[in-house]
Amino acid sequence: MEIVKNINDEKGYPMQHYEVLQDLGDCFACVGNFVSAQDCYEQAASLGPDEAGPYIGLGVIALQKDLLDDAESAFKIAVRLDKNSSKAYAGLAMALQRKGSHSQSFDMYLKSLELDSDNLASLLGLFQTSCYMGSFSKVIFYLETYLNMHPADTSVMFTLAALYMKDNRLRDAKQTLQNILALDGSNADAVKLLEEVEHQLAAACQV
Amino acid sequence: MAQKNGTTNEPKVSVLLSTYNRRRYLPISLSSIVRQDYRNLEIFVIRDGGEEVGDIVGSFNDSRIVFIDRKDNRGLPHSLNEAIGRATGKYICYLGDDDLYYPHHVSTLVDALENKTDCQAAYSDLYKTYCRILPDGSRQVLGKFVEISRDFDRFFILYFNHVLHVSLMHTRDILEKTGLYNEKVTALIDWDMTRRLVFFTDFYHVADVTGEFYAPVSDNDRISFLKRKDSAGFATNFLSIRTTRPAKPWSKLKDLSIIFMADRLDRLAGKTVSSIWQQTFYPYKLYIPVSAAAGNVGTDMPNLVCVPVDALATQDQQIDAALRDCEGEFVAIAPADLPVNDMWVEEPLYALINNKEKNQAYQMESSSDQLWSAVFRKEELLEARKLFPNEPVRQSVLKSGITIQRVAPEEIPFQFDSLLKQGKQAGRNGNWYEAAEIFEYIAEHYQNELWMKSLVAGALHKAGDDDRAAELVKKVNASRPTVDTLLLEARIHKKSRDFSRAIELLESARSVLKGDYLYGNS
Repeated sequence: MEIVKNINDEKGYPMQHYEVLQDLGDCFACVGNFVSAQDCYEQAASLGPDEAGPYIGLGVIALQKDLLDDAESAFKIAVRLDKNSSKAYAGLAMALQRKGSHSQSFDMYLKSLELDSDNLASLLGLFQTSCYMGSFSKVIFYLETYLNMHPADTSVMFTLAALYMKDNRLRDAKQTLQNILALDGSNADAVKLLEEVEHQLAAACQV
Repeated sequence: MAQKNGTTNEPKVSVLLSTYNRRRYLPISLSSIVRQDYRNLEIFVIRDGGEEVGDIVGSFNDSRIVFIDRKDNRGLPHSLNEAIGRATGKYICYLGDDDLYYPHHVSTLVDALENKTDCQAAYSDLYKTYCRILPDGSRQVLGKFVEISRDFDRFFILYFNHVLHVSLMHTRDILEKTGLYNEKVTALIDWDMTRRLVFFTDFYHVADVTGEFYAPVSDNDRISFLKRKDSAGFATNFLSIRTTRPAKPWSKLKDLSIIFMADRLDRLAGKTVSSIWQQTFYPYKLYIPVSAAAGNVGTDMPNLVCVPVDALATQDQQIDAALRDCEGEFVAIAPADLPVNDMWVEEPLYALINNKEKNQAYQMESSSDQLWSAVFRKEELLEARKLFPNEPVRQSVLKSGITIQRVAPEEIPFQFDSLLKQGKQAGRNGNWYEAAEIFEYIAEHYQNELWMKSLVAGALHKAGDDDRAAELVKKVNASRPTVDTLLLEARIHKKSRDFSRAIELLESARSVLKGDYLYGNS
């Protein structure tokens, strides 16, 4: 009966319809067809009432349309359905950031990055809210964590170098900029900032 | 299988639909028959008791429908027999009262049987449609999967079914050989018939999805499901089906005779006989040499033949006596104490069936010097006994030049299933390249190419090898797209940011899930 048991144990994952609609919604959203995307996400939500995905999609569309309250509501549902969704927290953070709630937004970006330190959108969002709030230590930690996994991402390296400078960590800034130039010798911004860092370092030595 | 080059002359097809308390879904099922692109049908709707459905049947106003309106519930086999008794079609096919055909179902199978094969049975693939039953009784489709797209495998059908009735069409004539449905069988009714059909015909597999059967994900009300939950009843049906032997001659199957050797027909012997009954799936008759002094076997097991022997007869003389009565082309010798497990006789038998050399025999896995047990071709065993009648059976066999061997791993049946299981396990363990290699190997050596290619593509995608996955799944979709393969190809395009192609593929998948093809929306 072993083989019979195997046959009877075979179960397809019965969420295929949901997956098709969710993917279709994502694709429509990517090509800017928000009406079709919204329709797909709404149907997906009815098929997978416990899934966060459709609400993230609906939130993204609301953000695109600048319907910030709708976006916030959708992302809040997504967070409630899946407390481990980095994307849901990132979306909620974006909505809050655009509504001017920088402190709450900062916290949501942090949660998003705790769940996925690779989430570039959250990283940049955290950077923006940090700039607004003037607090950089947590951003530096997450940028460093991100770069451990993506050591050749020169744009994030440049952001980190700038933050090191603001935090008066000039030697770290210099090293980071040299790393950028080792990867991309023609990076004019890095060359310019490196000159400035070296200038400040020389000045500090003189003092 | 031979290819026919005839032309289709639209033979009549009898479609059998038995219904019991499914008013909600009957209109969908019946509509899917009425809307077939093949017109020469007689459609039997059998009300097997339960709710009235005359109004539903009448609403179709279709002269091809024959309505058998019976108030009492006598079960599916009785209903099918009732309709078969009145059927006049060259071919017969079946539909459950909550399942449905696609418009090309009948024409596809008729075309196969008329023009592509000499087989008297053909089958297609089906979607298993998982659904949620909503409070209003409607079905919300959660997914449609072709879980099995298996090429015909006679040995497997003897073991268990792989051809569901909704996907099957067979000639009406062949029922004269198989016999009608067994009205005592209450579960696995389709297997009861497909198993009997394989005695007389091969099945032609059309790897095209031509219908759906529904599987609610909770509160399963399917009658077949409820019957299976009754494990004692299920086992009774299971054994009843496995021991059914249609009348001979069997054109596609050779019979097996098992000679059971026991010094005494005591409780232990009875237990072994019972194990043989429960474990053996290949059609057989059990021959037990018995003297009046030996006692009673103590079983109501079917297909048992008691061979009268002298009380003083030696074991070899008893075997000779049984051998003279044996009907089978194959003969197995089994001592009373032999451990009888799953495939105990089928493994050596399968090896022997597939060994084309003369004078070959195979031992059972548990055979030993003390409990010697093997399967022979009857003619060769008879010849050995004729040449060396005074030698013990084992010596005569060896002296006559019959090679008795153990079954090699590559000779074991169900290699396909074993490999498939290995491949799926490799996937579950995250070894996707290994899984892909196993599925590729299966496709090369054990048919089922399209099914395996789909699995290879899925495994390669999981392994991150999207280039190879894309190439493969594209070929599968060009030949036989399913929701799963469309979704897979779409995801590969989505990943490479080719959104317009991904949308095209996903829209096709959505259309199947919505059932557009049923209602003429696409």
